[in-house]
Amino acid sequence: MMMNLGRFRILAAGAAISAIMAVTGPAWTATPQDTLVIAFAFDDIITLDPAESFELSTGEILGNSYDRLVRLDINDTSNVTKDIAESWTVSEDGLTYTFKIKPDLKFASGNPVTAEDVAFSIQRAVKLDKSPVFILTQFGITADNVEEKAKATDPSTFVLTLDQPYAPSFVLNCLTADVASVVDKKLVLENVVDNDYGNAWLKTHYAGSGPMKIRDWRANEILVLERNDNYHGEKAKLVRVIYRHVKESATQRLLLEKGDVDVARNLEPGDLDAVSKEDSISLTNAPKGTIYYFSLNQKNETLAKPEVREALKYLVDYEAIGATLIKGIGTLHQTFLPKGVLGELDEMPYKLDVNKAKELLEKAGLKDGFSVTMDVRNNQPVTGIAESVQQTFAKAGVKLEIIPGDGKQTLTKYRARNHDMYIGQWGMDYWDPHSNADTFSSNPDNKDGASSTTLAWRNSWDIPELTKETRAAVLERDTAKRIEMYHDLQKKVLETGPYVILFQQTEVAGVRGNVENYRLGPSFSTNYVYTVSKK
Amino acid sequence: MSETAETSPQTLRDWLLSERPQSRMQARLGRFYMIWRRFTANKLAVVGLVIILALLFVAAFADLLAPYSPTVGDLRTTRLLPPGGEFLLGTDDQGRDILSRLIYGSRLTLYVVLLVAIIAAPIGLLVGTVAGYAGGWVDAVLMRITDIFLAFPKLILALAFVAALGPGIENAVIAIAITSWPPYARMARAETLTVRNSDYIAAVQLMGASPTRIVVRHIMPLCLSSLIVRVTLDMAGIILTAAGLGFLGLGAQPPLPEWGAMIASGRRFILDQWWVAAMPGLAILIVSLGFNLLGDGLRDALDPRGSNQ
Repeated sequence: MMMNLGRFRILAAGAAISAIMAVTGPAWTATPQDTLVIAFAFDDIITLDPAESFELSTGEILGNSYDRLVRLDINDTSNVTKDIAESWTVSEDGLTYTFKIKPDLKFASGNPVTAEDVAFSIQRAVKLDKSPVFILTQFGITADNVEEKAKATDPSTFVLTLDQPYAPSFVLNCLTADVASVVDKKLVLENVVDNDYGNAWLKTHYAGSGPMKIRDWRANEILVLERNDNYHGEKAKLVRVIYRHVKESATQRLLLEKGDVDVARNLEPGDLDAVSKEDSISLTNAPKGTIYYFSLNQKNETLAKPEVREALKYLVDYEAIGATLIKGIGTLHQTFLPKGVLGELDEMPYKLDVNKAKELLEKAGLKDGFSVTMDVRNNQPVTGIAESVQQTFAKAGVKLEIIPGDGKQTLTKYRARNHDMYIGQWGMDYWDPHSNADTFSSNPDNKDGASSTTLAWRNSWDIPELTKETRAAVLERDTAKRIEMYHDLQKKVLETGPYVILFQQTEVAGVRGNVENYRLGPSFSTNYVYTVSKK
Repeated sequence: MSETAETSPQTLRDWLLSERPQSRMQARLGRFYMIWRRFTANKLAVVGLVIILALLFVAAFADLLAPYSPTVGDLRTTRLLPPGGEFLLGTDDQGRDILSRLIYGSRLTLYVVLLVAIIAAPIGLLVGTVAGYAGGWVDAVLMRITDIFLAFPKLILALAFVAALGPGIENAVIAIAITSWPPYARMARAETLTVRNSDYIAAVQLMGASPTRIVVRHIMPLCLSSLIVRVTLDMAGIILTAAGLGFLGLGAQPPLPEWGAMIASGRRFILDQWWVAAMPGLAILIVSLGFNLLGDGLRDALDPRGSNQ
C-alpha cells in the first residue's frame, strides 16, 4: 500500500509539473509590442565613449545613438550622406573643409547642437588619444594643433584643416567613423573628473543626439536603447530596443524559435540552416567589411619564393569551403578590398588546382613538398578552414602542422613576426579603401621593431614600390582615378602578395515574422535598429 | 610439475589450490589463481576487463579495422552524413568517417593513459615511500609539496601547465602526469607508515640493508597492489582530463582524432547532427566505465590484507 501511494505521489507530482509547464510555456513567448529584443554576443563592449570605443558591437550601439557630420549612404556605400551637416565645401587647395550645421538641432538632453559641439568632439577625441584616434590624426592633426585645425568659426560653421590635400572621399569616409561622433559638450563638461574630458563618465553614459538613447548597459548581460524624441530625423517607431547578451549560437536559436527574442544575431551555419526552415523566421544578411585570409611570413625562406606563394593559392578548395564551412556567414572573395567599398575589384582567379600547384612547386625546387606550421585561433570557422586547407595542401605534398592557441597567443606571435602562417581576419577600421590598402599593401619600414606594424610588415613583405602607390592613391583627388589606382593595387597584391584571401564575412540575423524593416548595414555602425517596426 | 599440469583441468585446479605447494613457482601461481577466481567472481569486473581488452585490440589493429582514413574527408560529398549506410557512425564537419576516427583515436587514448600511468605512478610511489620511511623533515617537505599540488583543482592546474608548455598531446600528457601523482604519494606514504615498524623490516635492518634497499625491495612491493588499483581507477579520470583538454583545444592538435577534441568540434552541431558529438562521447563513456569496473574488481581481488594471507 505504501509503495503504491509513493508511486502515485510521484505520478501526481510529475503531472502537476507538466501541467505548469504547459500553462506557463506560451506565456513566456511574446516580446512586448513596442520593444525589439535582440540576442547578441556583445562581450566585446568595454566602453560606450565614442572617442575610445573601437569594438564591433559598440559600433552598432554608437551608430544608432550618436550623430556625426556625415553618415555612410547605406544604399550606395561608396558614397556619404548628410547627417547633422547641411552642406560642405572643400577649398581650392584641398586643405580646408567647411561644414554648415543644420539649424535648430537638439541633443537628447535638450541642449542645442552647434558647430561648437562638433569641434569639441573632435578635439576631445584627439586629446584623449585612445585606440581609434589615428583615424583623425592621420590628417596631420595632433593634440597640440587640434584647436586650430578643428574649430567652429560661428555656431553653425565647422572648419577642418588638413596637412595634405587628401582625396575628399577619403576625408569624408573617415568622418563617418564612430570616433567623429558629436557629443554634447555641455553635458560632458559637467561630468569631467581629473581633467579626463568626461571619459570615465561617458564610458557608461550617453551624451548624443542620435535616433536612440543609451539607457542602460550591464556588461555581458543587457544593453537597452530608448527612443530619442529630440532626434532631428524621422523618429524611431519602437519605444525601446533591448540587446540580451547570449553567447552560444544554439541558445540564440532556441530563444528565437520560442519567441523569447525577436532577432538572433550570432547564428552559426548549422543553426542558420535549421532556423531558415521555420515559417515564422526569416533570415536577413549583409556583406561586412571583414575579410578572412591566411598569410605567409616572408621570413620563412620557402614561403618567400614567389612560386610557392602562388602554388599555395592554388591549394585551397575555395568552392567547397564556400559551400559548407562558411555557408551563410561568408561569400568567397579574393581581393583585399571587401565588396561595397569604393574601388573594390571583383576578381577570383584562384581555385583548387593541384596539378598547377605541383608544377609551381617543382619550379621552386620543392618537388617533394615541404613542412610548414600555421597558427590557428581556437574557434570557428578558422579551425575548420585550417583543417580543410591541411587536407588540400597534403595533395601536393605540403605538410601543414596546425598550432592551436587562443586569440591572444596567436595574435602576439603574429605581431612579433614569429609565425610561418597565420589564419585570421581583418576588419576595416573605417569605411574607405585606404583602411585596408594601408595595411595590405604598405610597409614603410620592414625592420624588426618598426613603428608601423601593417599586415605587410607582420609578414615581412618588403614592398617600397607598392607603399608609394598606396600613398599616392590616398592623395588622388579625382575619385575615378582613385578607383583605378586601387584596382591596380589589388591586382598586384592578388598576384604576388603573401596573403591567401578566402572570403568576406557576411553577417546574418534570424528575424521573427512580426518584425518589419530589420536590415543589417554594410558596416557595424550601420546596423540600424531605429527603422524597425513591429506588427 | 609440467606432467601434472597436462593431466586434467580438475587436477590442475587441485595443484594450484594445493595447501602444501612444492615450489615457490607453484605457490605464486596458486596465489594468482586465487586472485583470478576472486576477480572472475565479480561479473562486472570481467565486463570491464573485456572492454579494456577490446580497446587494446582495436588500438593494435586500427589500420585493419578502420574502413576509411581518419584524417581525410570530402567536404563536398560526405559532410555531416547521418549514421548508417556507407558510414556506420556518420561523418563529421570535414566529411571524415567518425568510426575510423574513433578507432584511430583509441591509440591516442591508450597512449595518454599509459604514459600518464608510467610517469605519475612511479613518482608518487617514490615520493610516498621515501617520505613515509624517512620521516622527520624529509617527510614534512615532501608531503607539503604534495599538499600544494593537491590544493589545485586537477584540470585547472593541467590547463595552466599546457598554457605554459604549448598545446599538443605530449604536453597534455606531461601536464596530466604532473597533476596526478600526489594522490599516489599520499597513499604510498600511508601504506609505508603501517609497515615501517614491523618486525620483518627490523630484521632486514639488523642484517645491514641500506635504507634504499629496504624502500625499494621491501616496502614498495607492499604498496604496489593498492597502487595498481588506484591507478586503474584513476585511468577513467585521466581519460576525462585528456578529453577535457582536447575539448578546450589544448590537447591534441588537429587533425588528430582525439576523442575530446572530436566532441568539442561536434558541439556546434549538437542540435541537428547529434552523432558528431555523441559518438566520441559514447566511446569515452564506455572506456571510462571499463577502467572503473576493472579497477573495482582489482581492488576486491588484490586486497593485500585479503583472506589468502
